[in-house]
Amino acid sequence: MGQSAEFDAIVVGAGPAGATAAYHLAKRGFNVLLVERGRGAGSKQVFGGRIYAEPLREVFDDLDKAPIHRWVRRERFTILDGDRELTLDFRAGASTSFTAYLTQFTQWIAQKAVDAGAVLADEVRVDGLWLDGGRVRGIVAGPDRVAARVVIVAEGVNRLLLERAGFVHRASPRELALGVKEVIKLDKKTIEERFGLEEGEGLAWVLLGEVTDFIPGGAFVYTNRDTLSVGLVVHLGGAYQLLRDQVHVLAERLRTHPRLSRFFEGGDIMEYSAHMTIEDSVGYMPEHFAYDGMVIVGDAAGLLLNTGLTIRGVDYAAYSGYLAAKGVERALSEGDASAEALRRHYEVPLRESFIYRDLMRHRGASYAMKNPRMFREYPRVALDTLEEIYTLGRETPLPHEALARALSRNRVGFAEFALRMLKVVMSL
Amino acid sequence: MSQAQEPPRRKLLRIDDLLQRNVYDVDQRPHIILHAEKCEECEYKPCLRACPAECYVEVGGRVIFSYEGCLECGTCRVVCPHDAVEWDYPVSGRGVYYRFS
Amino acid sequence: MSLEMMVGIKWVPNTQNVRFDPKTGTLIREGVPSIVNPADLDAVELALKVKDTYGGRVRVITMAPPSAVKGIEHVIGMGVDAGVLVTDRVFAGADTLATSYVLSQAIKKLGLPDLLFFGQETIDSSTAHIPAQVASWLDLPYVYYVDRVEEVNREEGYAVVRRKLEDRYEWVRVELPAVIAAALKSQVPRPVRLSEKLRFHRDKPLQTLTNKDLGLDPRCVGLRGSPTIVAKVTWMPEVPRKRQVFKGDAREAARWLVKKLAEEGILVREDGRWRVRVA
Ligand SMILES: Cc1cc2nc3c(=O)[nH]c(=O)nc-3n(C[C@H](O)[C@H](O)[C@H](O)COP(=O)(O)OP(=O)(O)OC[C@H]3O[C@@H](n4cnc5c(N)ncnc54)[C@H](O)[C@@H]3O)c2cc1C
Ligand SMILES: Cc1cc2nc3c(=O)[nH]c(=O)nc-3n(C[C@H](O)[C@H](O)[C@H](O)COP(=O)(O)OP(=O)(O)OC[C@H]3O[C@@H](n4cnc5c(N)ncnc54)[C@H](O)[C@@H]3O)c2cc1C
Ligand code: SF4
Repeated sequence: MGQSAEFDAIVVGAGPAGATAAYHLAKRGFNVLLVERGRGAGSKQVFGGRIYAEPLREVFDDLDKAPIHRWVRRERFTILDGDRELTLDFRAGASTSFTAYLTQFTQWIAQKAVDAGAVLADEVRVDGLWLDGGRVRGIVAGPDRVAARVVIVAEGVNRLLLERAGFVHRASPRELALGVKEVIKLDKKTIEERFGLEEGEGLAWVLLGEVTDFIPGGAFVYTNRDTLSVGLVVHLGGAYQLLRDQVHVLAERLRTHPRLSRFFEGGDIMEYSAHMTIEDSVGYMPEHFAYDGMVIVGDAAGLLLNTGLTIRGVDYAAYSGYLAAKGVERALSEGDASAEALRRHYEVPLRESFIYRDLMRHRGASYAMKNPRMFREYPRVALDTLEEIYTLGRETPLPHEALARALSRNRVGFAEFALRMLKVVMSL
Repeated sequence: MSQAQEPPRRKLLRIDDLLQRNVYDVDQRPHIILHAEKCEECEYKPCLRACPAECYVEVGGRVIFSYEGCLECGTCRVVCPHDAVEWDYPVSGRGVYYRFS
Repeated sequence: MSLEMMVGIKWVPNTQNVRFDPKTGTLIREGVPSIVNPADLDAVELALKVKDTYGGRVRVITMAPPSAVKGIEHVIGMGVDAGVLVTDRVFAGADTLATSYVLSQAIKKLGLPDLLFFGQETIDSSTAHIPAQVASWLDLPYVYYVDRVEEVNREEGYAVVRRKLEDRYEWVRVELPAVIAAALKSQVPRPVRLSEKLRFHRDKPLQTLTNKDLGLDPRCVGLRGSPTIVAKVTWMPEVPRKRQVFKGDAREAARWLVKKLAEEGILVREDGRWRVRVA
């Protein structure tokens, strides 16, 4: 029924990955359709709060005009357990990342795509890939089918289309995490005062321990212009045995935590959002990033790096969209949208890029990070060690004594601890 | 041992109060359908705690689902061990509309 | 000639779940997007159903700032053929009288349709004035609370519509052209389709009318043409909810609920039946 429009490329999903791919293809004169289920681009987007700028400079020549909130100079890392707290506070010499709303940032990219000539069909849910003997010919949306020479799948982490078409396995909780976030309004001055920031300067703060009820994952606070993004990520693997409370209760505990609430005091909660994110990036990757008539970008391709201290998904998504646009351009100009051509022009450059290389290098660390002991016993070892060192009675323990006592109190073997730490360090 | 007085813990907001902060344009047709008969055999019922919008509640031993406050995260589809969740996104741009996330 | 239909839609802030700032007593509107007034989608759906049966053309008309094109795009996505945007600085600040005057003159200019649909009321003002006022300006019959169009006979110049009243249906035979207001929530609006969105982008079926086209006396439009004076706006005090949870099976729960509602005086027993008490 009702089709005929033939596009050079159809992009499914106007997130940072899809919108960037559409922008670069439209800019190169291709006839591009960008389909997004949300109302306008960005309205379904949720992330933590910080975007790394360096890769984006290659992708957007006017990045400074993007809806940037604050350039991050301050990094903070905290382990919380009851009234004990260990905080690492770092002020960088230069900033390489900024805080933003992904809703706004995505809209900014999508607008560039539209200005470059892409057709944005929002409010349209794509229901399936149009398959023709293993080749992707286009998309299916309700009763409509639309054909394209190449389909760029940028549907994000929740891969309904790729799963339905059998290109990837069914998502498993082990590979994923759930993030929830509250956006809290406070005025600019108050934010800068409370976090000790200079004007326009931003903070990224990762917290572990009690704040996620010791469930694998971490909490975060990012400072925006006049709001805070406050939330947490919990791994879904084994979540049902570990989760004792509802996820929103964890978010509220974070906001009202006696050691933290003074930062949020008096702020109005403007929004409460949730989204999944990738935990095991390499395991989540499809076998290939390109097939006959189709390429896969962004989260849908498993391109996300969460080291526990930093998380990168948006810049990876946009950069992969950019690589896809360049690859599709080459393939189409050769008149060949086969898997071989698309792999040659997109998959190979992607595998050679910093994204893929870093994901492979961090592979081991991410396994270490998934160990639940990493989130319960090890933070306590750190706190107990410091407690031994600082909370002195008569005796002053030697550092190795402090560590040994902390280890035994948490039933962690020294060999195990040393090995884990070594593994984390080695993989970096 | 002397200790600084901890400020009292503030009240946690209920889920309704959190969801009320959001903008929704709810469709009359649900985008997720729960086949609740499958939940009876379910031991953990992970949806009850993992759904960030508390769309799944247990009443008298049965799981009851409502889609209106759904944040469209997809978690329930992934954590359900019995394939009881028939999951899709809303159509026509409906559902939640994020502005500051 | 085929059946001509037109639907009036309003582009309204999505205030369906907007909160009040308890300190200032005003709406928190930051970032709140606009949507097509939900009741107007009932009207659009009703018109599209008539088109499904009888063919013809459905157009929408809205008096609004140019951003309302996004709303026109939405209903075109549902299958509406074309949209008319009535927009001009001099139309700003209109009350319902001035709004209905401009709308009716624009509709006249475009040619009277056979059926002119409206929603029941808007979520941002809910006066339900517009349909009646437009009918009155155009001197057309007006039927409201309509949930079904049973028959349209263009040759003989009538339609039969069903009105959904509280406790009964009423069938009305009305002369064409007629103004019809759709009953609130009486329809399930059809989904937006990709092919229709593509048609919107390809054909741009949009027409804009300004006061240059309409040539209306500026004294009769916009703020100047609006006799309404808003004397005062206050907020209803919030009634604290009583939140009670009853655990038990459905039958028991229903009994318990009825008992509670009776205690609150919300339900009363009359002639052996429970009724909602009318204030
Ligand atoms: C809690 C959390 C915190 C994070 N923090 C950070 C951070 O601080 N920094 C960072 O860089 N990254 C962060 N990320 C990761 C980052 O958000 C993602 O990597 C990034 O958004 C991926 O972009 P994408 O375009 O691939 O997918 P998405 O942003 O998910 O976009 C996919 C788009 O496709 C649309 N879509 C999906 N299916 C369909 C369909 N069937 N039909 C039509 N449209 C469809 C969706 O509506 C959406 O607009 C975080 C993620 C989460 C969940
Ligand atoms: C002093 C005053 C100033 C005002 N200033 C403004 C202003 O600056 N901007 C503004 O938007 N409103 C303004 N209003 C509100 C405006 O008067 C009307 O509310 C509005 O145009 C229609 O009334 P309603 O919303 O109650 O619609 P109802 O009569 O409740 O609507 C019923 C149906 O009429 C149709 N309809 C309603 N409005 C329109 C429209 N504009 N175009 C096409 N069809 C329509 C829809 O189908 C709707 O479902 C003002 C009101 C007053 C009293
Ligand atoms: S998609 Fe997310 S918010 Fe919606 S019902 Fe499932 S778990 Fe809850």
